Amino acid sequence: MKRRLIGIAAAGLTMVMALSGCGGGGSGGGDGKTIKFIAAKYSEKTQPYWQNLIKEFEAENPGYQVNLEVVDWEQIDQKVKTLVQTRQEPDILNLNKFSDFARDGMLYSVDEAVSPQVKNDFLANFVEVGKYRGTQYGLPFISSARLFFYNKEIFAKAGLSAPPESWDEVKRYAQQIKAKVAGVYPLGLPLGAEESQAEFFMWAMNNGGGWVDASGEWAVNSPRNVETLTFLRDLTKSGLTQPNPETTNRKDVFNLFAQGKIGMLNGAVFMPTSFINPVNPNLRYGVAPLPSKDGATHNTLGVVDFLMAFKKDDGANKEAVSKFLDFCYAKENVAKFLEDEGFLPVTRSAGEALNSDAYLKQFIDQLPNAKFAPTDDPAWQAVDGAAKQRLGTAVANTDPKAVLDQIQQTAEQNSE
Amino acid sequence: MRKRGQRAGSAFVLLWIGPALTLILVVVVWPVIEMIRASLLRISRSGRTLGFEGLGNYLDLLAERDLPEILLRTLVWVVGVVVVTTVLSLGLGQLLNQRFPGRTAVRWAVIVPWAASVLMTALIWRWMLNNYFGLVNQVLMDLRVLEEPVNWLAHPNLALLWMMWVAVFVSLPFTSFVILAGLQAIPNEVYEAARIDGAGPLKTYVMITLPLLRPALLVGSIINVINVFNSFPIIWVMTQGGPGHATDTTTTFMYKLAVFDQDVGDSAAMAVVNFLLIIVMVLLYLRALRWREEVG
Repeated sequence: MKRRLIGIAAAGLTMVMALSGCGGGGSGGGDGKTIKFIAAKYSEKTQPYWQNLIKEFEAENPGYQVNLEVVDWEQIDQKVKTLVQTRQEPDILNLNKFSDFARDGMLYSVDEAVSPQVKNDFLANFVEVGKYRGTQYGLPFISSARLFFYNKEIFAKAGLSAPPESWDEVKRYAQQIKAKVAGVYPLGLPLGAEESQAEFFMWAMNNGGGWVDASGEWAVNSPRNVETLTFLRDLTKSGLTQPNPETTNRKDVFNLFAQGKIGMLNGAVFMPTSFINPVNPNLRYGVAPLPSKDGATHNTLGVVDFLMAFKKDDGANKEAVSKFLDFCYAKENVAKFLEDEGFLPVTRSAGEALNSDAYLKQFIDQLPNAKFAPTDDPAWQAVDGAAKQRLGTAVANTDPKAVLDQIQQTAEQNSE
Repeated sequence: MRKRGQRAGSAFVLLWIGPALTLILVVVVWPVIEMIRASLLRISRSGRTLGFEGLGNYLDLLAERDLPEILLRTLVWVVGVVVVTTVLSLGLGQLLNQRFPGRTAVRWAVIVPWAASVLMTALIWRWMLNNYFGLVNQVLMDLRVLEEPVNWLAHPNLALLWMMWVAVFVSLPFTSFVILAGLQAIPNEVYEAARIDGAGPLKTYVMITLPLLRPALLVGSIINVINVFNSFPIIWVMTQGGPGHATDTTTTFMYKLAVFDQDVGDSAAMAVVNFLLIIVMVLLYLRALRWREEVG
């Protein structure tokens, strides 16, 4: 008991020391040639990749030094926040959001951060996602897109030959699978806190809904969204999904799909590398566009992670930062990272380099039509948090409209 | 003359208690002040302090519509776990106090849940309760108690009961050993006197053992109240307080405000409220037991 108390006290003390900046000064002496880079950890390959790249960079640019820190996704938000609070922010950061830093005036714009060649290499829709109030601050780095995955064996057993295109077909096919194939769940629907906002958005955008309306105003509780959530609730209550979508996380259903226990679901580009190949490389599955309400137009969810450069010491770090960023965005460097981690390109040059892969090409082809969460809106983080926590309850005990109303309220409260 | 001597004395005393005092100031008081300060600041989601917010964070917190339910659940959680733990520990303590072959082994076995990391215990229980692969479902289905698996941790009430069970499980060792120590402190003569006066086992227990155990019970339950109230890993590992906020206590809610809602100010306000709640709970408890009479 006592040890625990002391542990808590020690943790408190460490936090206070960190908060008040007693934790030892950050590296980088202000000569402008030594920079700190905090990267998110995507997999075991991330750290070796950056270490290698930095070694090459330092060899090519004598006198410059990059101090790397690779941080787990679960800790990176808290870590960065503490660093900012104690004025020890990194020079370069790799994260899935940038708008809060842009709003607080901490970032270099794209023109200050990279060369014109790199700037013009970004694909147009990613440039849009990297903007805050009309200026691009977020430098897109990697992207990901989602497609519909279906198990061909289960479909054959149920007498189905093609994946569903409309929502009616989704429901009808699911009923058919339920009736004819024992021991499998027709549809995987992860609405647990890990990624429910993404799952919901994929269904909503294919019903003409989404987070914001055409004018960019928050429209979380729009009739289309209510209809979407009601449809998902109906699928759940009809027993066509795995049990309790509200507590099922994405990795749970991806694992079940890999084991051949789920008929169809919204899958991600990294499904084969991370889930299917390690456990069941012989799984027979197909990939198709996400089904939509009317079955005519199919949107996909795009996800993009950024690099961003922090203004420090009145711009003393600018030269080193842009030198390093230009180096990162060299075609072969980006392509190597994407191959290592199984993600999609955000630059034209890397896209051309990866187009020969037939599996990846299906996803790359979808990218120009990808829709993104409004990460550029400073209220997004609050909306994202509320959505993750609440959306799932709409297929369990709470009324879909009430759930969406609450998230809308969060959005409005957090908008200036 | 006398005055000077006194002053020298108190300076001398300060020298002795100085290190302990400094430790308390640095380790306890300072974090509390920082926590209160943070709850009064407006902190941007990027981490930058934007200025003084006054009581705004507290008003935001009070406007959270899930808060009343969470407070009520926290009360159920604390009272439930502590009462069940204490009752079970009374039995366990009694057992451990008896002479029987293998008593040392049993005493060690009871310590195990205490020695194991709470995080690990909670993880193991989460897997045992898993809907698809969990041991609990398999056993119950093999015994024909269940026809199909139950997703235990997905239903808020069931999940809460299971989590309370895990909390009881990890609180038992400490509590039963405190009670064991209490039992051993009761002199044998008292029992002999009772026997001579013709008191039966039940009467002896209610009239003699329980009253003499009061100090042990008092210490055990206060520490348990504080511990269970602050208990984070069990709930976080098993349900993350979800679905929605349906299994949150104020402790996990505080964490979610910081991590999911990215609102450091609100979270600090919740931390201050938690701090006050625990102080009030302990004071009420002590008052109910009229501990001054007991100790004084």
